[in-house]
Amino acid sequence: MSSEAGEIEQKYHIPVVAAAGSNVVSFGLGANMTYNTGMPIRYVGVPFPFSGQPKSVLQGYIEGKDTVSGKPMMQAIVDALTKPLTDAEKMSGVPAESSPEPRLLPADTEDNLQLCFKEKGWTDYNPVIIPTQERVAAMLKGTSHMPDEIVKSAAGTFGTRRPFTVENVATLAVMAGAKPEYFPVILALSSMVPYQDSTTSIAQMVVVNGPIRKQIAMNSGLGALGPDNDANSVIGRSMTLIHKVIQGYQEGVTGFASLSNPLRYNNLCIAENEESLPEGWQPFHVQMGHQANDSIVTIFTGWNFINSTGWVEQHYAPQNLMRDYMSSLSGMGATLLMDPSVAELLKNAQGFQTKAALGEWLSQNVEKTAQSYWGNSIVSSMLGPLGAQGLEPYATWRKLPGETAIKPFANPKSIHAVVVGGKTASVWFATDFMPGKGASIDAWR
Amino acid sequence: MNRRKMLALLGASPALVATTPSYAGAAPKKTPGAAPPMTTGLITALNPAVTPKLATRKPLAPRLDTLDGKTIYLVDTDWGGMGQNDGILQDMQAWFAEHMPSVKTIIKVKKGNFVTDDPALWKEIAENKGDGVVLGVAG
Repeated sequence: MSSEAGEIEQKYHIPVVAAAGSNVVSFGLGANMTYNTGMPIRYVGVPFPFSGQPKSVLQGYIEGKDTVSGKPMMQAIVDALTKPLTDAEKMSGVPAESSPEPRLLPADTEDNLQLCFKEKGWTDYNPVIIPTQERVAAMLKGTSHMPDEIVKSAAGTFGTRRPFTVENVATLAVMAGAKPEYFPVILALSSMVPYQDSTTSIAQMVVVNGPIRKQIAMNSGLGALGPDNDANSVIGRSMTLIHKVIQGYQEGVTGFASLSNPLRYNNLCIAENEESLPEGWQPFHVQMGHQANDSIVTIFTGWNFINSTGWVEQHYAPQNLMRDYMSSLSGMGATLLMDPSVAELLKNAQGFQTKAALGEWLSQNVEKTAQSYWGNSIVSSMLGPLGAQGLEPYATWRKLPGETAIKPFANPKSIHAVVVGGKTASVWFATDFMPGKGASIDAWR
Repeated sequence: MNRRKMLALLGASPALVATTPSYAGAAPKKTPGAAPPMTTGLITALNPAVTPKLATRKPLAPRLDTLDGKTIYLVDTDWGGMGQNDGILQDMQAWFAEHMPSVKTIIKVKKGNFVTDDPALWKEIAENKGDGVVLGVAG
């Protein structure tokens, strides 16, 4: 919103007042102005909650007070368009750069450093390994890249400039407890910041494919999704620290996740059990166009993580229960995490010769009502406007009576499968996690 | 010189020092003019923080002397995606009609969704001599 207001003000010299909830106002006048737009946009604030409120409540917001100035809302809007600019609002040019962060912290005790790291918001509030120069130097041996190489500049939320180096990442990798051999994976993960945030409970999932899985002993088998493997655990934790320290995520400052999500502790870091794929089922990274010998890390983003609860029953084919559970997902995309035993059943007993064939079947068979589909605010906010502008199938779906059944996964390619697990139970998860573009781990060796 | 020998020379028992509780509060007190504290037991760590780059400051557009006779666009960002802002912008429009009838208000819905830009609309507003914009509502 700040960017759009800034564009109108800068390009067309038309005064703007933006109306928003306190999260948008706080970010717009805080980190976004300081590091991104450079413009102190004039805001008026509406109270929370805003989304999902009946019109009578929203009308009350107009009749009530602006939460920024405390004035009556409409008076505040008139003032924002007419009150002369302050000196701060007229400011232009390049400000003096902020003081660069020193490379080293003042020497202190272990306890004080642990406390300092927590107070600075550099941890997940579990103890970290203190990144001494010796430990960071050892971590840097895990890559051929130079310590001062810039990994990325546009690393902050909404692409704000937070340039960071290989050494910055090594420091966080040490803090998370990583071994040097994990470092190329962590560097590849860092190259994909900023990670997606939301006021909703969005989360990420990390999937590693290729030879690196075995080289660093990631767990793709028994207990792969649990806290039972060093590499899975530590690489996932590294991503959390990258999010907080490099991206600069601070709850209430640069992010406003109302409930957030416990998956953010470890970001569901797993490796695909490529060795247990049924014949004809390709590893995920190969499906995405990479070579089998490429080592790739992919970040998936989503909200829901539905457990099959128990194993597959002989009298109800697994794809049927997947279909049933997936009807509660948004329809924007899905990833099934399934034990190799489930993949074998789907291939050998149900005839799905490829992962894509399963996606096709689910696309044709998952149904939900139109009103349930549009009742999901992610769907309605992202796709509703496109439907209103005529884009199919959303234009047709918007016009349907609420009880009409639709097939929400219109694009079968939006349904993915990752095989992981130890074959002790034919279990699976249905998720709405959607993959981004994978990053090469080999490029960071 | 190792730590044990150094402590012995200073007259302190290594065992005693070893049982001293870890310092967990504020930084150790420093006496003005005193020699730098011994670094034994202290750790030098790398700073994980990165230095963000400040954005170039840009001025806001000059404000209007008055809204009388002006055209104000009320732009719906379509937050929520299903016309949720309609009521708020219509209420704003009704307020202007009642309290500032000389102000012409035009409601426009932004194309795309709430996260996409709509430069064509900004151009249209400028070409149609819009004097001001109320952009909302996001949250």
